[in-house]
Amino acid sequence: MSNSTATRETIKLNHIDPDRLAPEDAYNSEASRGPLAVEAAMSARWRRERTRSASRRRKGNYKKLLWFKQPFPDNYTDEETFLDHLQRNPRLQPYEFWSLMADSTVIVQHIASVAIFCCCFVAIVQERVSPISVVSWASFCTVLAWALWDYWLGEEEAEAAKAAADKQENGVEEVTNTWSGSVLPPKGPHGSELALENEGKFRPVHSHTTSTTSITSNESEAPRTGQADPLPGSPTKQQAPYVDPTSSISPRNQQRLATVKSALLIYAALLGLSPILKSLTMSTTSDSIWAMSTWLLCMNVAFFDYGEGSGSHLPASISTNSALMASTVLASRLPSTTHVFSLTLFSIEVFGLFPIFRRQLRSRSWHGNLVLTIALVVNACGGVCVTLTGGGRGAWIAGVILGGVITFFAMGICSWWLIGLQKYKNEIRGPWDPARPIIRRRWD
Amino acid sequence: MPYNIAYSHIYQLSSKLIDRGHKVIIVTHAYAGRTGVRYLTNGLKVYHVPFWVIYRETTFPTVFSFFPVFRNIVIREQIEIVHGHGSLSNLCHEAILHARTMGLRTVFTDHSLFGFSDAASILTNKLLKFTLSDVDHCICVSHTCKENTVLRASLDPLMVSVIPNAVVAENFQPLEHASSHDAPGPPHRFGPHDIIKIVVISRLFTNKGTDLLVAAIPRILASNPNVRFIIAGSGPKAIDLEQMIERNVLQEKVLLFGPVRHEEVRDVMVQGHIYLHPSLTEAFGTVIVEAASCGLYVVCTRVGGIPEVLPRHMTEFAAPEEDDIVAATERAIAALRAGKVRTELFHNQVKQMYSWTDVAQRTERVYDGISGALSHDEFYQGAGAGGAWSATRGRAGVQSFALIERLKRYYGCGIWAGKLFCLCAIIDYLLYVFLEIFAPRSGIDIARTWPKKDPVRKEVDTGMARKKSSRHRREKREE
Repeated sequence: MSNSTATRETIKLNHIDPDRLAPEDAYNSEASRGPLAVEAAMSARWRRERTRSASRRRKGNYKKLLWFKQPFPDNYTDEETFLDHLQRNPRLQPYEFWSLMADSTVIVQHIASVAIFCCCFVAIVQERVSPISVVSWASFCTVLAWALWDYWLGEEEAEAAKAAADKQENGVEEVTNTWSGSVLPPKGPHGSELALENEGKFRPVHSHTTSTTSITSNESEAPRTGQADPLPGSPTKQQAPYVDPTSSISPRNQQRLATVKSALLIYAALLGLSPILKSLTMSTTSDSIWAMSTWLLCMNVAFFDYGEGSGSHLPASISTNSALMASTVLASRLPSTTHVFSLTLFSIEVFGLFPIFRRQLRSRSWHGNLVLTIALVVNACGGVCVTLTGGGRGAWIAGVILGGVITFFAMGICSWWLIGLQKYKNEIRGPWDPARPIIRRRWD
Repeated sequence: MPYNIAYSHIYQLSSKLIDRGHKVIIVTHAYAGRTGVRYLTNGLKVYHVPFWVIYRETTFPTVFSFFPVFRNIVIREQIEIVHGHGSLSNLCHEAILHARTMGLRTVFTDHSLFGFSDAASILTNKLLKFTLSDVDHCICVSHTCKENTVLRASLDPLMVSVIPNAVVAENFQPLEHASSHDAPGPPHRFGPHDIIKIVVISRLFTNKGTDLLVAAIPRILASNPNVRFIIAGSGPKAIDLEQMIERNVLQEKVLLFGPVRHEEVRDVMVQGHIYLHPSLTEAFGTVIVEAASCGLYVVCTRVGGIPEVLPRHMTEFAAPEEDDIVAATERAIAALRAGKVRTELFHNQVKQMYSWTDVAQRTERVYDGISGALSHDEFYQGAGAGGAWSATRGRAGVQSFALIERLKRYYGCGIWAGKLFCLCAIIDYLLYVFLEIFAPRSGIDIARTWPKKDPVRKEVDTGMARKKSSRHRREKREE
């Protein structure tokens, strides 16, 4: 304690110059981040004068060098040069409230979809809703979303084709290059996002196939085939392997065909596996199942990839895996094979396909994102309220109003809190940090 | 013998301090095949305390188990000052804690730089804060290191001295050293077709900049056909280097030496003309001083304490970027070919700059200052602008040993850490009392001092006279 107070007091003089950081800045982050200009000018002048008089007093000039003997004792601390390379928060980006709110919709969407899944499960278990209707509605929505996706893809292609045509018109010779994929991200933010999307899309694939049980891995083929096909947003030839270039059908239609084919395959496989799934946890008590699925869903929420770019792959796969496992164990509590099949298919749609669609929607249209968020929040809040109280329409409306307000305020408070916390950010950089080497890997 | 910068630092400094009439004991942990009590040159006594080494010569932290042995050694050897080295050494931190409990003066030397962002650094910094909250003085090897330590441990900058490392210049002589005693002749010029050899000696780790090296070598060799590389050292990045050589078919031009012992470094260095040091972080960079002493022109990155170490005419600085390293190396090659650099003079210049005798003298001043042999005003005279440094003065020169004072210092280390540290200090104190009762001082034999030869004895006398004390001064150093 005495040490730190000593430092603080002793170097107070240093702090007079607004352009220079003193060690105490390392502790007090709220120390002047931008003092008034007048003040700054005055103290700068004051400091210059002081420096002049000080240097007159001194015999020699102190230098931060080791190789010659200086007329100063070893523990001399020069006010001018001490810590003159210290940088605080060099890459600080102040948050803004509304952009934080907008970004937090991603989290709200995911939590809402998890809540909806839970509500549907409870409703199915309590036999208030037929599992067939749940999965039919979900599948209908999925098909709609896929159609939308397909439409976007077509737009994308048209755009890319137009770009290529423009290039050709401009007489650029490397048209082939443009098409060979190296210049793949067309132009504008959407193109590049799509390219990232592509990676994101394939992510669940690996995770699933390597996942726990053979059953889970089989089921989870769905996201792969369902998703991977419509994806390749590039007009290049490097498309899914099942696109036959010699066929009379256009590549787009081939892809669609392949998607439908694999979706049917998954459907059939799931149908066949449902009886096994049903008896999977026969010997486990329901208590353990509830606890386990709770934790697994928490893991899903915690490790979900909320980012936009193609970030780290591991946590995302953990997230999807844990959600599918939770749905598998939950499904095994259900009475009939139809129930099990429905819930598993529903979970694949909610946890496997829906996040990918949401991601694409967010990059595509902000209004669509907002509408989807509101719809999800309304459904989730209403569903939770109905599930908890067991009431009817009245409970639903009360839940929607209450939940909506709570969600909105939670988003606001968290954003505001994060902005408030940012002033405690205190990153110290200096010459002691390992340098970040800049290497151009191109050279060979 | 396992080689370590801190280890050689301790050995060199200790032997110089012994020459100046001090008694020095080294306490370190036991290495494989090196245990018990040993005597080195000059009567330097080394205690190898058995400890379990976990990672790269660092021991496992056992906070209190070291105390009984330590107390025994301290009493046996009549130690007055404990000097710890290396912020990653647990033994050092423990020894400083125990020494303060026993009422001894303590000094800490920091050899390394740490950032503030990653988890390992945060933990180390907390530990350092614990130790340095109650230390009498701190020694850092460069000004950058001093700034780093002051920030990491929240120290008063006046409590920190900058005393660089040194090299034994006699061990790093250039090849034609005999001729340089004469008046220096005309500088040696390289013709455009003479081969210039670039030496790199470093452990091949990421933080030593091996990636930069791998990227830069093919480009340098492509534009300078009459250049050869000699690379010594080993490490996880060696494979990258080998791949680069094979991919670019540079076996003719790049010679990989593999690991070299510290004694052989000079023999490798003198084969070259330029020393390339692409490190990303470095507290001092002893190796570039060694290279300059061998008469090599030094190309190094401007990181850490490196810019402070050598004068401009011996070095070519580069930013830690591939392009800049290539450019700096080419500048160095051009300067050598133009005969602008008088590398044959480097050895004597380096000899003037860095010597262990000088380091020992400056360290001695620190010892004098903390033990009160040097008056407080004199020791802290560099206080600069008048009475600005009153906080230091308030501390009455030397730190108080009273337990309550020490607890106050520890308490300020953090909300949770402060209380934990206080607990440690209290337990340590109780352990000390316990040991005093059940293993009384009277039961511990006093070790006899190593008999000294006459010329040395004379220096002992002068040393004592200067200090007006009839006792020998004893320092103990830790690694």
